[in-house]
Amino acid sequence: MPPSQANYAPSLDKLIKSLKSQPYEASIEALIFLLKRRQVKGDDCAVATAHILLQVVARSKWHDVDQLLGRVQSVGSRLARAAPHEPVIGNIVRRVLGLIRDEATEDRNNADDLGSDSASDIQSLAPTNPPPQRPAPTPVLMRSNTAAPGGLQVSKSMFNILSAATAADTPMTGASTPLSQAQPASVHALRTEVINGIEEIMDEIQQADDQIASFADIQIHPGEYVLAYQPTKTVERFLIKAATRRRFTVFIASIDPIEPGSGEKPYAALRKKLNSHGVTTINLASNGLMAYIPRVNKVIFGAKVIYQNGGLLVDSGACIAAQAAREFLKPVIVLGAIYKFCPEDPSDEAVISELGNPSSFVSYADGPEVEALDIENTVTDYIPPSLVEVYITNLGPQTRHHLASILADHYKVEDIGYSLHDGEV
Amino acid sequence: MSKQGGKGAAGKGKKPAKAGGDDKREDALQAVIIADYFQDRFRPFTLDKPRCLLPLVNIPVIEYTLEFLASNGVQEVFIYCGTHSEDIEQYIHESTRWSPNSAISPFSSLEFIRVSDATSVGDFLRDLDKRSLISGDFILVHGDLVANIQLDGILAKHRARREANRDACMTVVLRSVGEEPHRAAKARGITPVFVIDDTDGRCLQYDEIHPLMKDRRLLLDPSVFKHGSFELRSDLIDCGIDICTPDVLALWSESFDYELPRKNFLHGVLKDWELNGKLIYTEIFEDGYAARASNLQMYDCISKDILERWVLPFAPDSNLMHDQSYQKVKNNSFVESGVLVERGSKVLQSAIGKDTSIKAGSVISGSVVGRRCQVGKNVKIKDSYIFDDSIIEDGAVITHSILAGGVKIGANAQIPEGSLISYNVEIDRDVRLPTKPPARISAKTDNGQPVENDASLVGPGGKGAVYSVTADDSDSDSDDEGDGDPAQLQNNLIYSLEGLNISTLSVSTLASEDDYDSDEDDEHAGYLHAGDGQRERLSSFTSDDASKPDAFHGDAVNGLVDALRGDDNADFDSAKLEFMGLRLANNASDSSMRRAIAVAFTKRAAEMLTPEHGGLEPAKAAERVLKDKNGAVKFIKDVGVGGDDVKQQTEFALALQKGLVSVRGLEPSRAGTLLAALLQQLYTLDVLEEDGILAWWADRRAAEGDTMTTVKERCKVLVDWLEEADEEDSDEDEDDEDEDDEDEDDEDSD
Repeated sequence: MPPSQANYAPSLDKLIKSLKSQPYEASIEALIFLLKRRQVKGDDCAVATAHILLQVVARSKWHDVDQLLGRVQSVGSRLARAAPHEPVIGNIVRRVLGLIRDEATEDRNNADDLGSDSASDIQSLAPTNPPPQRPAPTPVLMRSNTAAPGGLQVSKSMFNILSAATAADTPMTGASTPLSQAQPASVHALRTEVINGIEEIMDEIQQADDQIASFADIQIHPGEYVLAYQPTKTVERFLIKAATRRRFTVFIASIDPIEPGSGEKPYAALRKKLNSHGVTTINLASNGLMAYIPRVNKVIFGAKVIYQNGGLLVDSGACIAAQAAREFLKPVIVLGAIYKFCPEDPSDEAVISELGNPSSFVSYADGPEVEALDIENTVTDYIPPSLVEVYITNLGPQTRHHLASILADHYKVEDIGYSLHDGEV
Repeated sequence: MSKQGGKGAAGKGKKPAKAGGDDKREDALQAVIIADYFQDRFRPFTLDKPRCLLPLVNIPVIEYTLEFLASNGVQEVFIYCGTHSEDIEQYIHESTRWSPNSAISPFSSLEFIRVSDATSVGDFLRDLDKRSLISGDFILVHGDLVANIQLDGILAKHRARREANRDACMTVVLRSVGEEPHRAAKARGITPVFVIDDTDGRCLQYDEIHPLMKDRRLLLDPSVFKHGSFELRSDLIDCGIDICTPDVLALWSESFDYELPRKNFLHGVLKDWELNGKLIYTEIFEDGYAARASNLQMYDCISKDILERWVLPFAPDSNLMHDQSYQKVKNNSFVESGVLVERGSKVLQSAIGKDTSIKAGSVISGSVVGRRCQVGKNVKIKDSYIFDDSIIEDGAVITHSILAGGVKIGANAQIPEGSLISYNVEIDRDVRLPTKPPARISAKTDNGQPVENDASLVGPGGKGAVYSVTADDSDSDSDDEGDGDPAQLQNNLIYSLEGLNISTLSVSTLASEDDYDSDEDDEHAGYLHAGDGQRERLSSFTSDDASKPDAFHGDAVNGLVDALRGDDNADFDSAKLEFMGLRLANNASDSSMRRAIAVAFTKRAAEMLTPEHGGLEPAKAAERVLKDKNGAVKFIKDVGVGGDDVKQQTEFALALQKGLVSVRGLEPSRAGTLLAALLQQLYTLDVLEEDGILAWWADRRAAEGDTMTTVKERCKVLVDWLEEADEEDSDEDEDDEDEDDEDEDDEDSD
């Protein structure tokens, strides 16, 4: 699809602008279809997911942690299913789930310290195991909210259904308890905390590229030859940053446009910027890049996602470059922000890889070819971990062996096990 | 829905920056979906379901259209439905995504409009004009559109052109498919030809060509050459996406007889652009996909394109419907959850719907199988489309066919290429369906009654019978084709010219004979056409009108005769207007107009002679027919004769003569008398001049054949008189002579 020139076509920007003015359920649906139509892809998915989850936390009705977790999980799996080829969505959902658990634990600790809240309150905020029995005192206020008919019904997970039912079942006991005041207050606090946390995640996503770029001059040395295979935005920023400090040469490998001579040369903007800093750039057709590998000092990729085994998804064709680099013992550097680290092993589908529109290679106008050929346009390549030398994250360079600790720092064990793809269908 | 307004507002907030000084509200983008086509190309499937709800790769076709509109940010949608409108409405209302009441619908409004008496797309659009629902530019699409293009750029260009020139009223979106044969191009049968100004994309002329045309020529309008350089393109897919301003609807309203958006409207508006001054532009895009599942061949082609991912994001594993769960598996296939593929069976480049089971040894390739189907052992299914809930028993072989839902195919049955098997048909075991022509089997008749089972076709235990497409011309896409109906090229799944004789001559005679025969039972029409056939023969070596479409002649004559018959003393102007409309719509030549007028008047005059209509004397009849209606004489003078030229008058007299000769049940002598009376009246009324009549008298075409001569002879008196008058002083009192003449005529008739 040609890029939308944004007037009427829905886009992520428009969605974000309209978040406040429409029910979050409509926003979720809008994003799901943006994802399905590939109108949002790549790094934007992470931002979009964070925005939607923020809405879910801020605007959906929930009155304890489990309910919130359930809701985030259910929305998260809907988004993830809409774009199975974008594991980043799952990462963000897991991050938010972990965040909620953290905040809830903190809350409980606070409650313990203060000693002001009753046991039932703590119980209701218990982060992991849902108590076998839901606490009897359900605040009247909350009950009336949850039981209210309307837009919320659609998104109810199993979790929700249960809790809503309990709420409805025990109206009388809840009405008279004095605790009804305390709990909304803590829910409110939790909500604010989680919202702040999600905003931090958004900031992190935003700043990741800059942070990665700040390591550029350590990695790229003067006089080096660097091969950038279909540079992503992250890689572009990285190279430009390096160019401000160093003199080196960049080979930019890219797939030939289907009609040579049409439009401007690929990555013209990047080349211009690099040239302005005095960095020489050389454009390569991707099928000819092998010949240059002996000359190259290092190969740089921007990862789409990095799995826990260290393997990663990149734009198609990159795997050949990585293997060629391996043959010539050239280091392969992968740039990937922390939020791209996925606490899963690559699935078969990931290795099979997503297929794109064949029209990148064969014009639909070419009747005989369309008829006679089966064209598989793989959009992504899987690069096995053995081919990668170093991962540069926004927290600094890492080797494969340290990935596990990064993952442990950022994801909760409970959420790693939660498979986003097996949610309700 | 209310919050959707918010979404629209957000979009609006962005627009003014972009659109700059655009005068008025760029609010919601509107779209109109035409969901009825007044065609029967998908019969017998459409007996059960409307075309836009037929599954295309297991998703109803209209989903693709709606999704396309949603992906382009359309806010308000109007859907025009014809047949099965309840089904479509019910479908939409039950859909969680599109239902107007749904909170998650991407459209701020979605309305159905029903038009009870619509018989064509044109009626829909004229109705739309009356309703004034459209406030600005809108997108006009058909309910069978499958496209993934982004219209933003095209919309912006359209707006820019409209800003620059108020008359730029429409942009036609086209996809180029190259010169080479193409499965999409091949499937079309009818090839649209666009003449495009290659500097600014303005469309100058539109025509359609197809293999059944009598003369495979395209007449370029001379005005085209004034544009300097232009391109003549026949390599375009017309995907039926039009970006229109409300002016377009006004144009439709002005031309009440336009039926088809392309063949009539586009052709007509471009042809008459000097009259209406409206400019139509084209946008040809090279990337992306757009096509209409407008016939079975296109259905086939689009299904394949979707499976091969040409139409991304419309691929089965995008799961655009909420309840879908397709996953890509090996061999480029897609299966939904719950699909059971036994070991030893293969699924290649196919999509298999939920809960379908495929037993061992079966091979399914290039096909789409719906949900809950049961495929037995050793079944071979190739390039076929099988809708939900079908049962295929062991050993059956199905090749390039469409099997609608609930079909049961017995063991070892053979379904050869091109078969169309409609809902709930059952084929008994070991049955071999015929190959030529491929079977078209339905369990229902046109009126929805169960058919009588044809055991010889579907086997003793089978259900269903041959469905024969009743070629209802008024339904068909191309009812005004003089020659072979090209729609028949698109009725089958397999595109083939086999069985159609396309040698130029024989097709044309065949076609005209067909017309003759099929209309014969209809007394009224037969009457006209009989005369017509005769006329055609007579005129075949005289003038250039042989190639003109019969439809114009028939409609025009009917219209005029009706107007002449009308009891009220109404003005003839409305009839005249209608006639001119017809003429423009059909691109009728002067000679065919003349012929139509002459036939109409002679017909009415001859009718007046019969006892049922008063049994008037010829002279009286001639006077009444010309003078009863105000303006009729002027009409003849202006349109029928078309000038003061002697030659034109001769032609008209000749046309009158031929018209009378061809009137059925009128003796030649009486016809002659009537002709004399008519000519004399026309002479008196200054429509025909002496020279014209004399020239006619001298013309040898007027004396071809016995009847012609007989008729002509009866006018001798008149001609003699005219010649005498010529010799005498022209100052002589004409009135007296007229009286004399009339007396003479009366004597003649006695």
